[in-house]
Amino acid sequence: MNIDVTKYKALIIGGSAGSFQVVTKILSSLSDKFPIPVLLCLHRLKHVRSGFVEALSLKSNIPIEEPNDKDQLKPGRAYLAPANYHMFIELANRIALSTDDPVNHSRPSIDLSFTTAANAYRDKLIAIILSGANRDGALGLKVVSERGGITIVQDPKECEVKTMTESAMQLTKVDYVYSTEEIIRFLSKLNYT
Amino acid sequence: MVELGIVDIREIVRIIKKSYDYDFSNFALTSFKYSLEKVMAVNGLINAENLFRKLSDAPDFFDSFLHDLFIPSTEMFRDPSLWRWLREEHFYNMPERHLDNYKIWIPQCISGAELYSLCILLKEIDLIDKVKIFASVYSNKSLEFIKSGRYPLKKLEVSKENYVRFQGSNTLETYYTLSNNEAIRDTSLIKSVEFIKDDINFSKAPQNLKLILFRNVMIYYNPTLQNLILDKMNKSLSAAGNLIIGIKETLKPSNALSTSFELINNNESIYKRKI
Repeated sequence: MNIDVTKYKALIIGGSAGSFQVVTKILSSLSDKFPIPVLLCLHRLKHVRSGFVEALSLKSNIPIEEPNDKDQLKPGRAYLAPANYHMFIELANRIALSTDDPVNHSRPSIDLSFTTAANAYRDKLIAIILSGANRDGALGLKVVSERGGITIVQDPKECEVKTMTESAMQLTKVDYVYSTEEIIRFLSKLNYT
Repeated sequence: MVELGIVDIREIVRIIKKSYDYDFSNFALTSFKYSLEKVMAVNGLINAENLFRKLSDAPDFFDSFLHDLFIPSTEMFRDPSLWRWLREEHFYNMPERHLDNYKIWIPQCISGAELYSLCILLKEIDLIDKVKIFASVYSNKSLEFIKSGRYPLKKLEVSKENYVRFQGSNTLETYYTLSNNEAIRDTSLIKSVEFIKDDINFSKAPQNLKLILFRNVMIYYNPTLQNLILDKMNKSLSAAGNLIIGIKETLKPSNALSTSFELINNNESIYKRKI
């Protein structure tokens, strides 16, 4: 596997039920000089605004924040979609939040974050779908693939709930099906640039 | 859904500017694109040319376009803690003389979720007849929708949960009836609201306001338009009047107007106009 590590501009990760431990492991594996921004779209309760960033931050090597609208994305930081908002990625490397209707019963919706990120970063995006209990993210990953980005899904055999990864694989011929350890090894190639 | 390209979107902006003198060029691109694509889906338009033609040739369409394009506030009583703050920290214990000439404005009403929530809150604390509420709409379609009281059932469940967290003095069911698979809200709640049919730049903004509820509207603007509209809000408020924006919206230090406002509640994004 040869990837040009200097090419990529953003990493986006989507997950739902069963993804929390995986995201935590990934975040703890990244170097504090990780060269690109990390976008996290994880399903969460609408009315619980606080606590999630804090929980994810416990073992993370890079700072995590819930961005405000129009915040500029910076390398080496993670951005978690805030409760009850969709997180869009604007062309100028900015966040744009939305309160539009839920998609796949979800707000934030992984499809919308992935689609807008794919349109903003084209073939310079790495997208990962993790464990989850609905189909959100499948359509988004397809758009990432169509724009030439790298598509990865967590190996359904390893997923606590495999609906999300299997739906993604049905819709798209993904580039890699990886265990958590393999995802970490893959991203470590970006770590040391 | 049909996918619009940047060239299509520029053409749509140009047509609207030319035909109606509305300027959408400073709307945030990704959400504007998504909204346009949804409008096309709702209206069965299968390509960009269909939309160009509708916008150019059918003035009636523009009114419903404005209703369909804008994102309604999600559900009633979104962010219950904000509504609790209004009740407990703001209106309770407000001296009677402050209520004289107390004017509230909701600048962008699409579904009336914010408006009905506000009216329910004010009714429950017996202030509904003591304050003056202005509500601006962009289209007759929005106005008719709000005045009909109609509200989609799919938004009702979350609204009910929100109301419970708001800890209102009734249940939300008190304020609507069910009919033909939709809710009909109690329209007597909004009987003394003054509606203003306005354009998207709020040219008819009311003045000397004590409170503006402007949550999650500026997220659909780019920073240039955010500045312009904030200036309008600033001029519409009376000294020490409150501006409430969405919890993930901020007046960034880079914003020219950030010094005109004082942040008085960080969790709920409540600002006060400096005297």
